[in-house]
Amino acid sequence: MIAPKKITLTIDGRRCEGQEGQTILQIAQASGISIPTLCYLKHLSPWGGCRMCIVEIVGSPKVVPACSTPAVDGKQVVTNSESLQKLRRSTLELLFSERNHICPFCVMNKGDCELQQQGYRHGIDAISIPYLYPAWPVDVSGKYLALDHNRCILCTRCVRTCEEMEGTHTLDISHRGAKNRVVVDLGATFGTSDTCTNCGACVAACPTGALFDKAAAFRGKLNTCQTVRTTCTECPVGCGLLVYTKENRIVEVFGDFDSPVSQGHLCVRGRYETWAEPRQRILQPLLRRHEKLEPATWNEALEAVRQAAKKAKPAQKAVLVSPRLNNETIATLKKFERIGMFVARDEAALCAEGDRSPDSMAKLHDADAIIVLGAQPSRAQGVVAAKIRTTVRLRKAKLLIFHTRKSDLDQYATICANVVSLERKFWGRVAEELKDAKRPVLVYGPEAMTPIGVAVLERLIKIFEGKASGPAPALIALPTGSNSLTLAAGGIEPVEEVGPWLDAKPLKFLHIIASDEPDGGARLLDEKYVRPLLEEIDCVVVQAAYQSRLTDLAKVVLPATIWCEKQGTITNFEGRELPLQAVLPPRGEARQDLEILNAVLK
Amino acid sequence: MSDKPKVKVATVWLGGCSGCHMSFLDLDERLVELVKLVDITASPITDVKEIPNVDMGIVEGAVCNEEQEHVLRTLRARCKVLVALGDCAITGNIPALRNQFKLEDVVARGFVETESTQVGDIPGPPPVPKLLNKVRPIQEFVKVDAHIPGCPPDADTIWYVLTELLAGRMPKWTEKNLSYD
Repeated sequence: MIAPKKITLTIDGRRCEGQEGQTILQIAQASGISIPTLCYLKHLSPWGGCRMCIVEIVGSPKVVPACSTPAVDGKQVVTNSESLQKLRRSTLELLFSERNHICPFCVMNKGDCELQQQGYRHGIDAISIPYLYPAWPVDVSGKYLALDHNRCILCTRCVRTCEEMEGTHTLDISHRGAKNRVVVDLGATFGTSDTCTNCGACVAACPTGALFDKAAAFRGKLNTCQTVRTTCTECPVGCGLLVYTKENRIVEVFGDFDSPVSQGHLCVRGRYETWAEPRQRILQPLLRRHEKLEPATWNEALEAVRQAAKKAKPAQKAVLVSPRLNNETIATLKKFERIGMFVARDEAALCAEGDRSPDSMAKLHDADAIIVLGAQPSRAQGVVAAKIRTTVRLRKAKLLIFHTRKSDLDQYATICANVVSLERKFWGRVAEELKDAKRPVLVYGPEAMTPIGVAVLERLIKIFEGKASGPAPALIALPTGSNSLTLAAGGIEPVEEVGPWLDAKPLKFLHIIASDEPDGGARLLDEKYVRPLLEEIDCVVVQAAYQSRLTDLAKVVLPATIWCEKQGTITNFEGRELPLQAVLPPRGEARQDLEILNAVLK
Repeated sequence: MSDKPKVKVATVWLGGCSGCHMSFLDLDERLVELVKLVDITASPITDVKEIPNVDMGIVEGAVCNEEQEHVLRTLRARCKVLVALGDCAITGNIPALRNQFKLEDVVARGFVETESTQVGDIPGPPPVPKLLNKVRPIQEFVKVDAHIPGCPPDADTIWYVLTELLAGRMPKWTEKNLSYD
């Protein structure tokens, strides 16, 4: 590989080194020279439409936008002449006059708005042209996001983000000239959109208060908040979170652009559902006295648990845990004789045989052929779905899907097949599509572990082995439980059918650790026979953060911490260990899962 | 005490909430220094309504009706330096939100369709001044010599602009003095 040629620019009299192919802005920023920008975001393709980053090149009569002009070796660039400042001020005056940029009641007022910041930096106390006062609508129909067109500067950061990070291309610009506006789908609203996944990446990208989070609005100015980096525990991807807090409450959740897994992207679960959904939090231990659950102290609750555990022989006691428990709990969990982890259907086999491929996200990014077998990333691992969409649509990879449920990814697939009904000559087509694949990736979920799924998996591997040339596909297991692969590898048995597991030997004591599962573990009760089996057990202890039908039938309820209060590590589907850093102190009397377990064992 | 004659100042508020005048009063003890240099003649604060010839005129609020336009033009004709105080005077701001709607709809919503009104009647001139079709900032009617942005501008900024103007200089706007915390 030939390394790119080194070039030199002279920017404001300073020698700045760079590489051929870089833009003037990239070289300037690398040398610590600041040029104002509005539509530029380093992780998105440049657009060059806001005209704030204009610079002069000695010898040329024009000004050019630094973000989208390739640097030419030897040129002299001026970034801040009086004439450039006047031009930038004019651009800002036109922006301020074009729509209704009223700071006093805006969510981004006083330090969070990039337009306001540029106005201040350019000393704008008043504009010299009349205001247009157009009547633009405000779309608050979305569940989590809102769009106020009056504040939009048409920078297209949201459009480019939706295309290049989420891959759905829900947002674009419609109409012409002064009638240009951001449009959702073909003229829908966020509430009626067919394609919007509510990932919220557009809100994070918006420089003004045009796109804003309904839950975060007015909870605090971001520039006055504390920030903590942690990891999302809603699924096995483990995206990096950058959480803003103020006075012990969450203000807003952003993706961490330094995360090697997600590079700043999030899905609706990690960005919104963990904190913007109203849930009934359990804040103190509960003991069942006289048929009712009543608040108790930790001492009372732990004593009740220990007493009940004493009454049962080792084989009559069991612990059933959520697959999202962190790594640090494993050693202690293994001290119990009967320990299991409740997982989704077909996930036990995935835990036993699933491949963890290092840097799976990077492999998906660089793939030229992606096969999705028996997995539903759009539903269960949103950021993986985004990665697949962007790799297929922007980097032109082939997509082959084998599954039993429809998903939005189907529309991008070259071959999309219902796993159950595959015909023979079909495999010829599949082999044809994969014959030129140089960087193939095979993502498989729990459904791939069914007899049909395994048969398809074997057929696919055979196709690759039978190829004259080309590498074997990277195999990536995609479970639904956030830390199930790690817990299983640590020796915790994955249990798909809780009923038979409970029924195997009579139990007198059952400790269910639902942790911060959004449903409080209630899905266990959806399985036939589980409820009557639970009712036969002398003492059922539920350790959970949220109230549910499951906590309602427990004898003892122990309040657990939630995602933003947890400390420890999890290991994601790539095999990467990721840190959980507590963002807030535990609310009420909630305690960490491990702390509770150790107290119970004492 | 200085021998210089005091600078005569008049202030008016048009389509505004009076917050900018309140912010002016937030100068607190600096008002004592200020009145050594200026003579505040007509003003909502002094409650003198007849505007004499003055050196400096300060205007809060946007122009929403014919009476406000008349007052603005009168002050402009009788002063040498006119200062726009606050975002309403400079950009239209909150009063200008009604520009997004038809005037007759705004008036109907305000006087007839209000929740507690039984029989609504739209007041007209006289005595209520006629509303202009669109609310506009003052510089679209008269020449403005200096602006103090903010909603409201904070007292420190008002002090800075007034002292600069009294010293014969135009204020210099930077990121530091434009951002209020």
